[in-house]
Amino acid sequence: MLLEMKTITKSFPGVLALDMVSFSVEKGEVHALLGENGAGKSTLIKVLGGVYQPDSGEILLNEERVSFHTPHDSQQKGIAIIHQELMLADNLTIAENIFLGKEPGNAFDTKFKVMLKQSKKYLEMLDFDVDPGKKVGDLNVSEKQLVEICKALAYNSKIIVMDEPTATITQHEVGKLFEIIRNLSEKGISVIFITHRLSEVYQIADTVTVLRDGHYIGTEPVGNMNENKLVKMMVGREIENMYPKYNEPQEKVIFQVKNITVDGLKGSVSFDVRRGEIYGITGLVGSGKSELALGLFGASANAFKEMQINGHNIQSINSPSDALKNGISIVPEDRKSQGLILPFDITTNLALPNVKNFGSFFNVLWKRIKKRALDEIKRFNIKTPGENQLVKNLSGGNQQKVVLAKFLMQKPEIVIFVEPTRGIDVGAKIEVYNLINDLANQGIGVILISSEIPEIVSLCDRAMVMHRGKKVFVLDRTELTPENILKAGTGLVENE
Amino acid sequence: MNKIIRGFLAFLRRNPALVGIIGVTIALSIITDSFLSVYNIINVFRQTSIMAIMGFGMTMVIISGGIDLSVGSVLALSAGVSASVLSGGYAFLGILVALVVGAAVGAFNGFMITKGKLQPFIVTLATMAIARSLTLGYMQGMPISRFPDSFTFIGRGTVAGIPMPIIILLSIFILSFYILKKTRLGLYIYSIGGNEEATKLSGINVGKYKIYVYVISGVFAAVSGMILAGRLNSAQPTFGTGYELDAIATVVLGGASLKGGKGTVYGTLFGALLLGIIKNGMNLIGVSPFYQDAVKGAIILIAVLMERKE
Repeated sequence: MLLEMKTITKSFPGVLALDMVSFSVEKGEVHALLGENGAGKSTLIKVLGGVYQPDSGEILLNEERVSFHTPHDSQQKGIAIIHQELMLADNLTIAENIFLGKEPGNAFDTKFKVMLKQSKKYLEMLDFDVDPGKKVGDLNVSEKQLVEICKALAYNSKIIVMDEPTATITQHEVGKLFEIIRNLSEKGISVIFITHRLSEVYQIADTVTVLRDGHYIGTEPVGNMNENKLVKMMVGREIENMYPKYNEPQEKVIFQVKNITVDGLKGSVSFDVRRGEIYGITGLVGSGKSELALGLFGASANAFKEMQINGHNIQSINSPSDALKNGISIVPEDRKSQGLILPFDITTNLALPNVKNFGSFFNVLWKRIKKRALDEIKRFNIKTPGENQLVKNLSGGNQQKVVLAKFLMQKPEIVIFVEPTRGIDVGAKIEVYNLINDLANQGIGVILISSEIPEIVSLCDRAMVMHRGKKVFVLDRTELTPENILKAGTGLVENE
Repeated sequence: MNKIIRGFLAFLRRNPALVGIIGVTIALSIITDSFLSVYNIINVFRQTSIMAIMGFGMTMVIISGGIDLSVGSVLALSAGVSASVLSGGYAFLGILVALVVGAAVGAFNGFMITKGKLQPFIVTLATMAIARSLTLGYMQGMPISRFPDSFTFIGRGTVAGIPMPIIILLSIFILSFYILKKTRLGLYIYSIGGNEEATKLSGINVGKYKIYVYVISGVFAAVSGMILAGRLNSAQPTFGTGYELDAIATVVLGGASLKGGKGTVYGTLFGALLLGIIKNGMNLIGVSPFYQDAVKGAIILIAVLMERKE
């Protein structure tokens, strides 16, 4: 056994993050580490990476006991961790990034030529044809991941940990990444692969370990596991329906837009949404769906020929405030940077778009806002000790519920959900889906923008597929299959 | 009772400047005979008023995630321009002119920052230089003196034994406290500093409220200028040189973060009082003026370190 972590326990004030967790990896193995948010995956990885010291338990590397006090210790022993937020300096070149901290030569005479030459060698190992003198800032996310992998190779790493590497790259790039992972594993390098997409576990992993609530649940060869069994291990109970759908679309169109152009979109887009309908918009990263969302909400420059909401003509949507006034609300893509003010409490976060309904400009009625906050906490089943809890202390799912409460308080006509289930656990996901159905059944038009194909296929009544900034296809409920979406989304089929 | 004590202790922990005030007050009362007298305490408050009032404006700017380096020059420009009106005998008009000048420079700062999309540090660094130079030019480098008594009253007068600067200080304090605590503007100031993008997506016109914040800061600087000119019965083109750094120091001592989103006006009041008491104490003990700024710098570092530990 190359790596053995035995009965690792780690607690933080008030939380037992890891409770006697064991985890082992063989040479050349691709080992998937699976679990919901808060299961302890990242704590375990941070123990392995020397960021945290375990309270008890031991780590064996090649049968030899080791202890990592700093990330540097762990690196020296051949463990490389590629975080989801990549740790590269955008202003430096590829070669400088690969050799950061171990530059050939000395401080006064760095051998840049040697660096470039050796970098080339690592890049070739990954079939990555790029000039190592190029600035990392000019690369896209998936190319940056490759640079991180080269960096790991330059450290002579025996174990590479990848934390949700597929969350931010396209389907096509995922395929390429998997090829590289197989390649590494053939060379005897072990890969620990963290993901929340079950399908990827089957595609790439040899073995899977599941954690739940800081406990070790089990390790199995992937061949022995079916999807239901895996979900049950992760969630701890049988999930009957991951994607509930019970909305009833009405005939009446509630939202219509003709020829809207938005900053960052190549063409113009037209579509309409009916009352009670869940209208999907999907496509790969870079297809323009996020830009369209921001444009529809007035957060980026837009122009359109015609827009109607509930039969009324809308002249222009120049700001989010225009959108909210006209009954368009949004659940933004990134709750941390766009949806919430993390260091503030729940009450203040809920107040932000809704404060106009509580008193006047010169007299905000905070007591009434507090009372309302308590109601919303109950309504959305937000797990928190109280309305004064800082939002940064909530789990991802509960944070997302605060975002939902905040943007739904003013009874909108249209709600644009942008990646509403990204990074939240299965239980919270199902709650979000139920909420989307409930909203639709109140007669609201729902626009669901998502890159999760199962979500689009299972929930939407119709879906628009975008490719390179243009609408390429609209699929009806009967045509909504993953294959059709993929074909349209990669530009294999075009109409309109 | 226990709850009140625990609440007070928690309040002290959040306000290291208040701990400093209590500590320094006790020490100075023991070391000197003159510190703990009504006369001297009122004196400290009066000397602190100018710095504190500028600090209240700076508090709002810093909570919103910005900085205003122009306040010292704005103080001088508003005092200088209004002085020519004041010396003609028009007290009310003179004050109005000063406030308008302060508001105008603040609005200019705000516009450049929001519409020009420039960094507050750069914009206010530039207006700091521009306003100072305009002051020197307008006054031809000479002081303007002899104002009507109705004007010098705001710097020298007393009401029921309380000097006017202290009354103005407390009024501006209550006004600022109210703005931050009870108005929509207050909520927006905090949220813009906490997360500007999220605030924008909540349908709030971020640019408009940022401009308001810089206008308030400019007006408060002008108020400070009026107090200073009233007290000296004269306006000088070098008024307020370096005051922007003192104003920032009071805000930081008060527990605000230069990253924005955090801070209180009572914290700033404590910060200003702490600096005032220390300066007063050093004079009473006879610390050389050459070393007084070193002590001030050390106090700022200690207070910020204490807060970091929290």
